[in-house]
Amino acid sequence: MKRLLVLLALLANVGAASAQAWPSRPIRLICPYPGGPVDLSSRVIAQKLQDALGQPVVVELRPGAGGVIAAEAVAKSAPDGYTLLMGAIATHAINPSLMPNLPYDPIRDFRHVALVVQVPNVLIVNTDLPAKNVGELIALARSKPGKLDFGSGSTGSTGHLAGELFKQMTGTYMVHIPYKASAPAVLDLLSGRLHLMFDNLASSLPNIKAGKVRAMAVTTRKRTDFAPELPTLDESGLKGFDMTTWWGVMAPAKTPNEIVNRLSTEIVKALDSPDTKERMRTMGSDPPSVRTPEAFTAFIESEKALYAKLVKVSGAKPD
Amino acid sequence: MDMSIFSNLALGFGVALTPINLMYCLIGVVLGTLIGVLPGIGPVATIAMLLPVTFSLSPITALIMLAGIYYGAQYGGSTSAILVNLPGESSSVVTCLDGYQMARQGRAGVALATAAMGSFFAGCVATLVVAMFAPPLAEVALKFGPSEYFSLMVLGLVAAVVLAHGSVLKAIAMVILGLLLGLIGTDVNSGVLRFAFGISELADGIGFVTVAMGLFGIAEIITNLEMKEAREVFTNKVTNMFPTKEDFRRMWKPILRGTVLGSALGILPGGGALLASFGAYTLEKKVSKYGHEFGKGAIEGVAAPEAANNAGAQTSFIPLLTLGIPSNAVMALMIGAMMIQGIAPGPQVMTEKPQLFWGMIASMWVGNLMLVILNLPMIGLWIKLLTVPYRILYPSILVFMSIGVYSLSNNPFDVLLMMLFGLLGYAFTKLECEPAPLLLGFILGPLMEENLRRAMLLSRGDPIVFFTKPISAGFLIASIILLVILLLPNIRKKREEAFVEAT
Repeated sequence: MKRLLVLLALLANVGAASAQAWPSRPIRLICPYPGGPVDLSSRVIAQKLQDALGQPVVVELRPGAGGVIAAEAVAKSAPDGYTLLMGAIATHAINPSLMPNLPYDPIRDFRHVALVVQVPNVLIVNTDLPAKNVGELIALARSKPGKLDFGSGSTGSTGHLAGELFKQMTGTYMVHIPYKASAPAVLDLLSGRLHLMFDNLASSLPNIKAGKVRAMAVTTRKRTDFAPELPTLDESGLKGFDMTTWWGVMAPAKTPNEIVNRLSTEIVKALDSPDTKERMRTMGSDPPSVRTPEAFTAFIESEKALYAKLVKVSGAKPD
Repeated sequence: MDMSIFSNLALGFGVALTPINLMYCLIGVVLGTLIGVLPGIGPVATIAMLLPVTFSLSPITALIMLAGIYYGAQYGGSTSAILVNLPGESSSVVTCLDGYQMARQGRAGVALATAAMGSFFAGCVATLVVAMFAPPLAEVALKFGPSEYFSLMVLGLVAAVVLAHGSVLKAIAMVILGLLLGLIGTDVNSGVLRFAFGISELADGIGFVTVAMGLFGIAEIITNLEMKEAREVFTNKVTNMFPTKEDFRRMWKPILRGTVLGSALGILPGGGALLASFGAYTLEKKVSKYGHEFGKGAIEGVAAPEAANNAGAQTSFIPLLTLGIPSNAVMALMIGAMMIQGIAPGPQVMTEKPQLFWGMIASMWVGNLMLVILNLPMIGLWIKLLTVPYRILYPSILVFMSIGVYSLSNNPFDVLLMMLFGLLGYAFTKLECEPAPLLLGFILGPLMEENLRRAMLLSRGDPIVFFTKPISAGFLIASIILLVILLLPNIRKKREEAFVEAT
């Protein structure tokens, strides 16, 4: 009986293998942002996919133009499941509104396979600022219009747009000071040259814990596991404020359903495994709320709509 | 700071000298030397590729290896700069100026030994500086805001003109050309693309390595192809391999000055380390009594910048370890490596993970020692490389450069761009325009613009901030003094000429 079962299982396997020969050669996962958390998580996921699929999964870095070069390359490559993209909020939700003549369509040119990482931003202020909480900050900003400065990693970044949304919802005016990356902005915040910024929670936590900056609220709708004591902006009076930075695996538009589903299943499985969960936690990622390709597409569509609105009010669009 | 420094260092060496950490330190520095020697392949790409390997290591072991790659690459970078005029890193551009000239005079061995010893000395001193003064120095880094950086860059640019040993006018023209090239890319403030001509690859500007490889490496190869017979000459007259007593006498002061300047500038995360080797070279040229030999193979011109860049590489760990602020792309990668190990770089690393902090500092010293032990005996081998016939050497260099430049962003566009800059560099050689001032302008231009505009945004358009902040005002005054010194001989000469004509 046992033998028969093994035989059946083997046959089933053979059947599956012949029906879908994919993957029969190495897979490339194109990553647009070298060095940072996107790169790191790409390598974690690549390793897991490699173990699950039995073919090498190679992370290939294609930096440039805020991710446009990588996204365009994947949008135009063969939809055979051998070229994947670690697409992100910039390439798929913000750039479409920010950049004229984007060479790809973030919805129509892609299959959105799996959301991998979703990290909250946090509102941090210099410790010398008299405001102790969000309410006091709004009052301060109202009493001194155009006197407060907020920094961000670049024009059109989530940190910038979160600040713009904050200004819009509170009817205040603060000046945006753009940097080339978020680290130098943090340096100016620590030294008091900037008053506040919306920055990645994971990289801000050490400074928050050391009392070098004051954290006021997270930008997500719900409180985060990483700092449960921090209120959300939503509960601090900015109803409906909900922003996260995210990235996930995508494939060219015509990639067959079986491949997309298989990839999605394997990635979700990987994300649920304890060791990956731990690695993602160290990067400050709460387990993603989106777990199917369809839900991921819907998520991107709503994000794209949100940022289209924000880019418009911020005047970030270069024209 | 008193006695605890010894117990802290003892703790650090206890960590750094365990067999496993020694082994990974060795792997790191050997790998770093290799990628440093190979033109174009930089530590960023290497560390990115090696990140998954570090997942399975303990955090301290991983960091020791990655740091080893970083400063090992600084060592290796000077080797190819001296032997074949190829700067792989911004810090080795200056080493090309006199190092390559020394090689042409058959003194490649001396230049390599000087670089190794200068780097080792600077590395030791800078490690001590990090160990003793990291937290107070981090406060200095905090004092540097946009206006201070801008004024520092102005000083750097004025100094750039001193770099040239030919015509001052041509040097100024090259600096300005460098500034213009630096304008290409996305404007930080508005996000507008400048001079990109619709090419996405230009959206982030032109890469430094691409420009440097073209202007120095490829231009050098083309120039050499022109000289049919003379080409083989300098390989035949390799005189002595190691520095003579006279060499030592001439190098120790420059090494000291380079170490001090490099340690100081390395602390500034906003491009300070970039200035270290340029600054040290300029300073030496001004204070040395052999100033006239600079650009023609002066040993001081190798010793000072090599010491400065290595000292800067070590002290640039200060903002990383104490504030969590990366000074460059390699440091940003290390932050990534730390985070994936569950360590958030920032002010608490020192108190919460003393073993990691002190272990890393101790390993830097160990790594520097390994590098000098590895590199001194290798000098003979490197010299042999020069005896390789050019018909074999040059095509190989070209291939390595192309691979290296391609690997920067896995894009063939960069290789084409490098070729273009090669032709431009050849034209510059013909016109007797030197590429070093151009490169400095190219590095400093974007930083200067960014900081100028940020300072103006913060002051709401009031330029007086550059003079009311003491540090910034100090740099501006120093620039003016330097300018006057620079112009004085010319003014004097003009007056003398006028005088001669009058009589």
